[in-house]
Amino acid sequence: MSTYIAKRLLLIVPTLFGAAALVFLIMRVIPGDVALLIFGGDAGGHIDPKQLAAMRARLGLDQPLWVQFGTWLWGVVRFDFGNSLWTGRPVIEELLIRLPLSLELALAATAVSVIIAIPFGMIAAVRQDTWIDYAVRVISIGGLAIPSFWVGILCILLLVIFFGWGPPLEFTPPWVDPWVNLQMMIWPVVTVGYRYAAVTTRMTRSTVLEVLREDYIRTAWAKGLQERAVVIRHALKNSMLPVITLIGTEFAFLIGGLVVTETVFTLNGVGRFLVDAVAHRDYPVVQALIFMTAFSFVIVNLLVDLTYAWFDPRIRYR
Amino acid sequence: MAGVLRHRTLFTVVALAVVVAAATPAAVQAADTPRRGGVLLAVIGADPPSLDPHQESTFATLQLVAPLYSTLLQTDPYAYPKIIGDAASEWKISPDALTYTFKIRPGIKFHDGSPLTSVDVKATYDKLISPPDGVRSVRKNAYAAVTSVEAPEPGTVVFKLKFPSASLLENLASPWNVIYPKKYLDKDPNYFKANVVGSGPFKFKNYTRGSTFEGERNTDYFVKDRPYLNGYKFFISPETSVRAAAVRSGRAYIEFRDLPSAEVDAIKKQLGDKVAVQQTPMTGQFGIAINNTVKPFNDVRVRKALTLGLDRYTASKVLFTLTSLRDVGGLLRPGTDWALPDAELQKLPGFGKDQEKNRAEAKKLLAEAGYPNGFKLVLKNRNVKLPYQDFAVFAIQEWRKIGIEADHRPLETAAWFADGRDTGSFELIIGPTVEASDDPDLFLRRYTTGDSENWGRYSNPAIDDLFSRQSRTLDHKERSKLVQQLQKVVLENAYYMPGLWWSRNVVHWTKVKNYVAPPNHYANQKLQDVWLSED
Repeated sequence: MSTYIAKRLLLIVPTLFGAAALVFLIMRVIPGDVALLIFGGDAGGHIDPKQLAAMRARLGLDQPLWVQFGTWLWGVVRFDFGNSLWTGRPVIEELLIRLPLSLELALAATAVSVIIAIPFGMIAAVRQDTWIDYAVRVISIGGLAIPSFWVGILCILLLVIFFGWGPPLEFTPPWVDPWVNLQMMIWPVVTVGYRYAAVTTRMTRSTVLEVLREDYIRTAWAKGLQERAVVIRHALKNSMLPVITLIGTEFAFLIGGLVVTETVFTLNGVGRFLVDAVAHRDYPVVQALIFMTAFSFVIVNLLVDLTYAWFDPRIRYR
Repeated sequence: MAGVLRHRTLFTVVALAVVVAAATPAAVQAADTPRRGGVLLAVIGADPPSLDPHQESTFATLQLVAPLYSTLLQTDPYAYPKIIGDAASEWKISPDALTYTFKIRPGIKFHDGSPLTSVDVKATYDKLISPPDGVRSVRKNAYAAVTSVEAPEPGTVVFKLKFPSASLLENLASPWNVIYPKKYLDKDPNYFKANVVGSGPFKFKNYTRGSTFEGERNTDYFVKDRPYLNGYKFFISPETSVRAAAVRSGRAYIEFRDLPSAEVDAIKKQLGDKVAVQQTPMTGQFGIAINNTVKPFNDVRVRKALTLGLDRYTASKVLFTLTSLRDVGGLLRPGTDWALPDAELQKLPGFGKDQEKNRAEAKKLLAEAGYPNGFKLVLKNRNVKLPYQDFAVFAIQEWRKIGIEADHRPLETAAWFADGRDTGSFELIIGPTVEASDDPDLFLRRYTTGDSENWGRYSNPAIDDLFSRQSRTLDHKERSKLVQQLQKVVLENAYYMPGLWWSRNVVHWTKVKNYVAPPNHYANQKLQDVWLSED
């Protein structure tokens, strides 16, 4: 197992390097002169070429591409992504304001989804074509069909109309005031968790159904094992690989941000930050956020692979 | 000119008083005994493109930073459009109306502790009137009459004019023209895009982009015993329903811009006397800028067809409850002395009341221009729902009736400004004209050649000439005639398509005292007299 972990960890380095190179190149290939954009296009009428050259020099855009990449990469290694062109503050500072919120939302929504999806998906599979199965399927299809923002707005309106109460408008970290944090985060977590649980429930149900038809499950029944042992120990564990992949991918997406949910619940998360940065042509922020999203996908994939190995010992011996 | 101002002041004050008194107890609020303390919580619908009001023209910038700055003059918070001093305590106008001398109040300090003197006022207006390369000044053309700004002594500022200006005082009272300390401008004229050093009743406390903006009481404010509030805090949310819910639940006490009537009614129904609604007309309208530099919009027949295809009278009925867009009018606010009389307005393309006739005329013009089956266009817009997107949706379905298919593209605020104002990268774009007062100089400069707000990028010497003449005409009646002539030239050529004039619903909890809503969401945002009767 330790050799497997070491191999996977080593693979992260070239993967991240590739991601960094790609992010950097994409930002250079897209049309538009960043220095000119900072001056607001041609808004100020004539722009002094000296000022433009000075701005390019300040941003390092007058250097050869490989020097620019090296400088940026060296900064990334030290968590220095430069300064936001819009606020003038270090990108990492801006990111750290928003990351706790997005992480909390992603973790809590994932937890809610796993807690709901795995038991219900499993029960629906075991009790296939009974009223329980139908109920789980209807609710999960509802989660997929109804847009999250609509559920979110509905949540807020119902609370306001019936209780005269609305969630706080500003994020308070759980370590500052857990109660206020709960009041704010519970609704987006429920909204996002519902949709996410719907996807995972359906995946769990179908994979458990598939595994329940395997020969070794029939053998387990034939050996006279109890239902709980057959389903949980033998069927569930073996049906988890695709479910784990799904949970991992969705979790990484959640860290990358949920623009619409964040907008509805006035959450200042990574998703809105990225959209705002694109709108304000704040390219150091865009570059950093895309890299961070790539980074979170790489880490989540690593965790998923390690979990695979735990669930299926054959993987770690390959 | 003083007479003109008095006349207009009286008209608008009376109109406002009637509306406000009918709708809210706000008019009597000033009689209560002010209470100190508390933080005013407000919601706002957009994030600012930058924090420099000299370079921006969105409420998203001004409402956040106005309480942090002083201006030379200001609109009276209780009596729009009366002009009173802010940093200036008094002023004199020479008999030939070519020299304006202002006395600066002694003892005004910027938030960094340095004194505000005439040198700072001069530096501010020099930046506004003649911005350095690479610095945008949205309102520089409003000062075409000014030859120089002088600071002969620390307490005196002199504006010298090459010709009389009918609107100089109104421009100097513009809430956008905040006074910056010279030493920061000298270092970097773009410094205030991301930083704040003002001398207003509140000091900058914190800004988290996309989330909140906060100010705290300036204990050194030059007006004694002001402000009453300990601070103010804006929560940024682009969703109208979320902002309405925030006011409804008491998480925010006020929305300064506008909430649609449907939301206002729901809030009133639920909260009853706990909230007040101030309904005012608006010195602004929502229309559509047409890019005159690209085909086929450089063809007057196509432009006329587009404006003929827009049924403004039905729009008014449909859009009012959703968006507060209400009045059909030309380029100046209906009901003012500057507006075109109805009879004359209805003769202009798109303003006739027989819409079937208008559509037939539009189709004929399109056929003549080579588009008998219509064509496709792209309508860019700002991604602010109220009222931008609702208005665009209405226009698009109207144009479909004359064979024009419009693809609607909402953009983030900064991208919308960049494409519309800065680079002209559009065919049609929703472009409102909202100003801090009704003065024609403010509203009409955008139709002159080369103005930074001339999003349609047209040039017509007749418009330039009429603008210049009205701007230096001090006789009100004479000026009004020129203003109306100018409007006719713009509308006959369909250089710009006015949509509807806006109205304003300011909803606030009754514990917010001493805020009297003017007919726009730019003026009276300093909050120096506002107080909270409870937290």
